[in-house]
Amino acid sequence: MIDGYVIVAAITLASIYGLLAIGISIVWSSLGMLNMAFGFTFAAAGYGAWFAAQQFPDSAAAVLAGGILTGALVGAAVCAVAFLPLHDKPNFTVRSLVATLAISLLGTQALLATFGPRVKPLPKIFGLKAFEITEDVVVTADKLGAVVSSVVLLLLVLAWMKTSRRGLEIRAMMQNPEGAALVGIGVRSTAFAVMAVTGALAGLAAVLLSQTYFVSPYAGLLPLIKGLIVALAGGLGSVAGALIAACLLGFTEAATSAVLGGQYVLITQFALIIAILLVRPRGIGGLLDETRE
Amino acid sequence: MTRWKNPQLEHDPAHAKVQPRLSLVGRRRWWPKLRGDGDELWRRVRYPFTRRTVLRVRGEYNPKTLARERTIVDKRPIWWLIGLTLLAIVPALVGNTSLLSATTIFAIYAAINLVWMLIIGTAGIFSLATLAVVGAAAYGAAYFSIQFGLPWWGMIGVGSAIGLVFGVIVALPAIRLEGFYYALLTLGLVELCRVYVVQSKVFGSATGGLYGADTYVPESLQDTDGAVMLGYYAAFAMLLLALALYRLVNGQRLGRLLRTAREDEAFAEAVGIGYNRARVQVFLISSVALGAIGGFYASHFKGVSPSIFSMDQLLLMLAMIVIGGIGTAEGAVVGTLIVVLLDKMLIEWGPMRLVLIGLLMLGTVLFTRSGLFGIKAQFRAWRERKKSERRAARTEKGGEVVPEEATDIQDKQAIYYRRQDKAIRDYLKSLVTDELIEEHRRKPLGQHSEALERVLNYFRRGPVPDKYAVMAIKPFEAYRVVALAGRRGVPPRLVDDRVYPTLDEAYHAVFLRRVNDLLES
Repeated sequence: MIDGYVIVAAITLASIYGLLAIGISIVWSSLGMLNMAFGFTFAAAGYGAWFAAQQFPDSAAAVLAGGILTGALVGAAVCAVAFLPLHDKPNFTVRSLVATLAISLLGTQALLATFGPRVKPLPKIFGLKAFEITEDVVVTADKLGAVVSSVVLLLLVLAWMKTSRRGLEIRAMMQNPEGAALVGIGVRSTAFAVMAVTGALAGLAAVLLSQTYFVSPYAGLLPLIKGLIVALAGGLGSVAGALIAACLLGFTEAATSAVLGGQYVLITQFALIIAILLVRPRGIGGLLDETRE
Repeated sequence: MTRWKNPQLEHDPAHAKVQPRLSLVGRRRWWPKLRGDGDELWRRVRYPFTRRTVLRVRGEYNPKTLARERTIVDKRPIWWLIGLTLLAIVPALVGNTSLLSATTIFAIYAAINLVWMLIIGTAGIFSLATLAVVGAAAYGAAYFSIQFGLPWWGMIGVGSAIGLVFGVIVALPAIRLEGFYYALLTLGLVELCRVYVVQSKVFGSATGGLYGADTYVPESLQDTDGAVMLGYYAAFAMLLLALALYRLVNGQRLGRLLRTAREDEAFAEAVGIGYNRARVQVFLISSVALGAIGGFYASHFKGVSPSIFSMDQLLLMLAMIVIGGIGTAEGAVVGTLIVVLLDKMLIEWGPMRLVLIGLLMLGTVLFTRSGLFGIKAQFRAWRERKKSERRAARTEKGGEVVPEEATDIQDKQAIYYRRQDKAIRDYLKSLVTDELIEEHRRKPLGQHSEALERVLNYFRRGPVPDKYAVMAIKPFEAYRVVALAGRRGVPPRLVDDRVYPTLDEAYHAVFLRRVNDLLES
């Protein structure tokens, strides 16, 4: 039952889930905000990529850049609307959660009003080639491209966070926001950077997922939910935990759809997450959270 | 012959030579007053068999006129009465049935939101599983009704039972998980239900919903205006029941336990509140109620469609309670009214009406602390802050009371004392000269000039706290200046480290300090 096909599917899903979950996880741990507008960022980035594809039909780089840039812009806009006015107000966590949910509602509906309910296809940016690994395991180019580009971008982001000045500031905010503010790290400018980078991650995920699915106003909902539950199972704020959870859930999804059928995917994933959370209420890597308070 | 001139006219503000500069003064709250004749002052209307009053009324004597009067402290019951009366006569007010059916939907959603408010407001648990419970109960009830011919009252019972099961399922993680982990989990639960229902053949994936369930509208009334009317009153009764449940849970012991735990879990634990138990109780109560509403929903619409699990529907419900204000029953009802009216009246706007609702929700959460019904308190707090800022900018130490401050001082005598004191000090300041100080230095005790005598008299009657005095360290050899504490048992404190060899020099040092304080004030 568990053959090469399942493993390939699991790796593909895990890489995209990792992309989604790390975005949510970083935002939560550095800004203390749950970004529920992530799904809207995703959908908007899909439309950005579609728009770029209309302008430059032959260029894969243009489609990728369109998605990533739109994602970063929308992320920064969400930061300007939901984080900046609220971050020093009482009851920030609940209010920012509601604000990002409101952005998600009105943004999705605005996309629906602007582009209509019809789905839009994206060009196959990785071509249509297929590679045979063994006789029954065939890896198509879009899957390979998705895995490679998401791993590359993920590594780039992690390296940037490890080495650059801005990355140092973000990590300082993740460890202790007040301490970071005391040593002169600008909360607002860092927030913009964080939201733009995670928006760019969502944009890349949007382009990659749209290789298989389509661009539509509601396209962001399922990635949002998946990203949230992966981030949740991994422990909000833990990059390593999110990666482990992404692998676990990606494998669960691939195995479930191969063995039981597609409609049981969410159920098995949920059973797994509830089991994880009952054993470790703060997720797999969620030990740091205790000290965050 | 000169005409008689009224000497008091000089003090009349209209004829004053110097008009005082009037600045904006914050008003005291105005309360409508009722007459309190005889024993009316102390009479209260109470709910039968309880000590609870219908209307919170304060009986008091007017401090100026000594008239007996009553103040209604909490006017909300009156507004509730007016609002519910209006809702009861809505069918007579609105002619067309489409508006009436929109009001029916409002009543159902308001009932759901009231029960939800028990969890999200009273218990402070950010649960988004409400619609999952309602939808699951509605689906279960519709399924039983279609398959086994369950009557409509049985559907409500089955709905409650499914709600109870769901309540146990969603309550278990709520004890283990912290706020946001729980919110995300429940969000996923709703999506799980939607995906399951959309793909399941048993629950009508082919027909887009499960329809054909029994309804409480009798055969004879089907498809008439009477059915719409009956539906409205049934939903209204549901709303009233939900209100009663809200009042019963939120206003009683369980609600108080939950609200304490919401503010501070550690404190609640320390005072002996088992908040986990209370939370499980409120989850079970609200889930049974939501299940009953779900059963009613299925029998009202003769079935249910997967759109009840959709994200848009969930966000609309959240918009309702956010706009109204989390934590109040009136917020739940009025927020629902606003959102449902916008949603149903502007149907030709298409998706833009949801954009409008989203903007409204965003504006509410950005600018208000707790929705529409928190605006009044927030405005008052803002006005108080402005008032005290302005007061702080205008008050001088020991000066006359500024009007903003005067409204807050209960003892009016204190205000006039400070005015008199200020006038005296202004006069005495003009008397202090170098000659006067020199006179005191030469002879601290004994007979003085009139000016010095006046100054010394003023110093003598000053209040004891922080009054300067002389302490003999060694009589006739060493004296020091101290300040009295003014409180029994607290020793005086030394004000400096100078030591004076004679009593007269110490007296003069005290005099100089007092003069200094006088000139500084």
